[in-house]
Amino acid sequence: MVENFAILPCNGLDKCAGVISRELAIRLSEQADNKIICPVFYRVSETKYNKLAAERPLFVIDGCQTRCASKLAAEKNLKIARRIIVADEAKNRHMELTDSLRITEREAALIDLLIHTLHEESWNHPAALTGSPGSTDRSEGLIDRLFDVGNKSDTDLRIPAEDLDASFDFDYETIQNGKFIFRIPKNRDIFFNENDCWARVSGNRARIGVTDYVQQNLSDILYFYPPEVGDEIDQFGELGTIESSKAVFELVSPFSGKVIAINEKLEKNPELINENPYELGWIAEIELTDPEGDKELLIGFEKYFEITKKKVEDANVK
Amino acid sequence: MSETTFMGVERSLIDWKPVIDYRKCDYCMECVRFCPHKVFEVREDEEIKLIIKNPHNCVVFCRACSKLCGPDALSFPDKNITTQRIKEIRKEMEGHG
Ligand code: SF4
Ligand code: SF4
Repeated sequence: MVENFAILPCNGLDKCAGVISRELAIRLSEQADNKIICPVFYRVSETKYNKLAAERPLFVIDGCQTRCASKLAAEKNLKIARRIIVADEAKNRHMELTDSLRITEREAALIDLLIHTLHEESWNHPAALTGSPGSTDRSEGLIDRLFDVGNKSDTDLRIPAEDLDASFDFDYETIQNGKFIFRIPKNRDIFFNENDCWARVSGNRARIGVTDYVQQNLSDILYFYPPEVGDEIDQFGELGTIESSKAVFELVSPFSGKVIAINEKLEKNPELINENPYELGWIAEIELTDPEGDKELLIGFEKYFEITKKKVEDANVK
Repeated sequence: MSETTFMGVERSLIDWKPVIDYRKCDYCMECVRFCPHKVFEVREDEEIKLIIKNPHNCVVFCRACSKLCGPDALSFPDKNITTQRIKEIRKEMEGHG
């Protein structure tokens, strides 16, 4: 049940997805104790909604990838507890959105479906509705926080990754640029790609995350949109996204493999990525499919250090 | 200055760049504002107001701008084909010492 939320919807009148977002928000507020924050009014005047925003967890409904509602939340320093993007939900259901600004049968059907899923189904993904049932372990933190869930599911699909969890001495080299410090680990079992993601390999597994370069550029990370445990990822495939008020960053997986764990702490505390993206701020763990083949297209510390140094210097010149 | 090689391979040999679907693009220019690599060029006075000016500036395997594109107008080449191609070129280069 979606209840007790402050709902911040897109109500963009230039797109079908915006109109759907608006309708979805209205329906959610009619059906249960949810209160809408009007994005247009909120932008010019905060007072009306400040109390609401402080008291209730925030449910953001974005129409499309422009994510105006999320950006507004970030602007107002609100933490997003739950978000959906209507265009993505439509896509996941193989529904083409039209140019229509009217709720016709098609749009109504999508809204019904979304409402149904939101109310009835597993709250197993903080950002998408389409997670596979059974992976309810993933967002326990979120569910705990928002709902009084007594019977926690113990269907833990993950294999404990003791080796990667064991204490590990990261040996950092740093690049400094004004107040920004970029750490890069020198350890031999850490690999990088040129998309600023790292992987620490241990046996047939790897723990993956972003480098300091990414977190410094994004600045305060507000949202973590993880991959699904069980997903098969190609090398250079998408391994979740992280988001700040400035931008969205898609993790480009250095290795191919199967996702066996995600860092659940990030759902509650995405800022751990800013604190240290190599240690507490890691993103996911995968079981490797072709480590030797993949390594051909990865780089080690020396090369990554050189590339980062150059990027940092170039950014300075601008 | 932009990178001229990727994994040791001449960047111009690698096909990786965004493709704009002009039927969908609404010229919001979010992609241009976001990308620091001068891949796009805005042409205010032309009918087609946005083009891919420097495809080889695009960071191989980056898809970041497509995440910001509201109408979903940006697409990229098949990553697996690109990966294969890079591996092949590297093999050829080895062969030639
Ligand atoms: S973000 Fe998308 S819609 Fe906006 S200008 Fe770029 S390609 Fe066009
Ligand atoms: S994919 Fe990345 S580098 Fe290429 S144009 Fe988009 S944002 Fe720029």
